[in-house]
Amino acid sequence: MATTTATISVSSNDLVPGARLSINATSTLMQTGLTTGLDLVDLGKGKLTEASATDALHEALGTADTSNYVYLCNNSTDDQQYIALGIHETVIGRLGAGDWMFMPWNMGDSDAEINIEAEPSGTIPYEYAIFKSTYTLPAKT
Amino acid sequence: MATTTATLTINSDIMSYPIRINKSMTMHKLQSCNGLEETTGLRAKKFTSTTAAVIVEHDELTDNKAHKLYIRNAGTSKANFFYIAYHASAAAAATDGETIGKLYGGDWMLIPYDGNSNITVASSTTDTQHLEYMVFADGIIEAAG
Repeated sequence: MATTTATISVSSNDLVPGARLSINATSTLMQTGLTTGLDLVDLGKGKLTEASATDALHEALGTADTSNYVYLCNNSTDDQQYIALGIHETVIGRLGAGDWMFMPWNMGDSDAEINIEAEPSGTIPYEYAIFKSTYTLPAKT
Repeated sequence: MATTTATLTINSDIMSYPIRINKSMTMHKLQSCNGLEETTGLRAKKFTSTTAAVIVEHDELTDNKAHKLYIRNAGTSKANFFYIAYHASAAAAATDGETIGKLYGGDWMLIPYDGNSNITVASSTTDTQHLEYMVFADGIIEAAG
């Protein structure tokens, strides 16, 4: 059984006046509802272009309503550039230059597809990792 | 200008070689090198019902910005979870298009959030579960008097 851990540390000395902020948390990523570690992963990097409009980060080909986790980092150094992050047709956030995100993903059908788009112009390098409970390979053509 | 940093470390032995991801970021305002200066504060909430509940009301936040949303299931159960959804008011459903995913005990997430819609959660159980969450805000709307 594989073991995957994800740890976050958030700190600030001046976001809340007079109170130093320090958040630390670690999670061991398990298969859906189990205490068995995840066995599937996709790692990659690429370049998004604004001209290509919205792209799917990954096909949502897996069993619906399962445990999956997505890491995505915007590797641009231009603070004007951001990645618009969406679930299916809905943009939920803007990932700025140098920013990373980590979230659970309810993969399973096209409604759960994660979409990304370079904004407002140019090309944005990115990297990602998707840790999955299940995955179905695309059908051959 | 405040400085807030967030560091992610992922270690895994899924592959035949170790996977190690280590990234740090300073939280900035949208299209800016200036740090985020506001927060809704770190909140903790106990749930004893499966009824969906809004934990972040988007009308407290400026729309179309680069907020960051941190949520953690403070429990330890890997059988129970919270659905996390980006919804105006609807319940978090298992396969709804705007359901982000499920946070089991100990799981956490940090995502960009544009502040355009509420964040809704629903516990999978009537057993007591605790959630902690915080918005690092790129603009908070002052409450009307």
